[in-house]
Amino acid sequence: MTPAYPKLKPSHVSGVMKVQMSLFNQREDVKYYQVELFDLDFNSMPFSTTYRIMKVDYKERKDFEVYIRKSDLDNPLYLCTISKVVKPRSSSPLISSRICSKVMEETK
Amino acid sequence: MKYLAIPLIALASPALAGSVDIVGNVEAKCVIQTDKSGVYGNPTASTLSTSPSDGGVLPVVRFDVAIADYYTANITHPSSFSSSPALTDSVAWTGSTSVSKTSDAGMSGYDSAKVVYDNTTVFDLSVAGSTWFSTSSTATYAASKPFTGGTYTAVVQAECIAK
Repeated sequence: MTPAYPKLKPSHVSGVMKVQMSLFNQREDVKYYQVELFDLDFNSMPFSTTYRIMKVDYKERKDFEVYIRKSDLDNPLYLCTISKVVKPRSSSPLISSRICSKVMEETK
Repeated sequence: MKYLAIPLIALASPALAGSVDIVGNVEAKCVIQTDKSGVYGNPTASTLSTSPSDGGVLPVVRFDVAIADYYTANITHPSSFSSSPALTDSVAWTGSTSVSKTSDAGMSGYDSAKVVYDNTTVFDLSVAGSTWFSTSSTATYAASKPFTGGTYTAVVQAECIAK
């Protein structure tokens, strides 16, 4: 997921900022990714986006926007995409991946 | 009329020799790929293990970072089954994560510099390139009871966190 440090831009809604993100799927075993926003202690934070869970085929790129309340931006936040893994038929460990960008006040 | 055509051809010719720019952009990014899916071996009735000596396969995750010093790799080995047959007793978990392959000699210090807390191992991705991490996981059923027959799944969480 890029960028590592997304730039905050004003949105069409007062008191809400937006960031433009891009996700490229390099995992052949994953087709769905979930978008999440966390504070620095990884507590969930409110946000809005078109699809919280989106389908991204292998080697496909998807651009998306995330809307964050201005009042939540006093401290840095982690904007993450989390892979949704499918339950396998054999006994095995699954690999769940999470990539997090840092949304920082300085980028306002 | 033919005199008018000469300057027109002269004007048009630079366009035929025009160049097309190819623009590239290298930006900080982290890509996680599954290099090898793991498998639990069942060396004894009460043990499930990814260790090759126990008949298992270690899961391997590859992290690619485009620019140095932008991310940490946080890898968490399992502490519970995400799906399993009904178990009546507790399961003891052990595990660890280490570097199995690197694309750059400068990454040789990753293993010695790693930080381990709880079930999570943190690597500072201070060199640009690819790093392969393998995670071992062992589940032992309480009091050496045999595991119930069925499929057992646990999750290794691989995270790439911007610094």
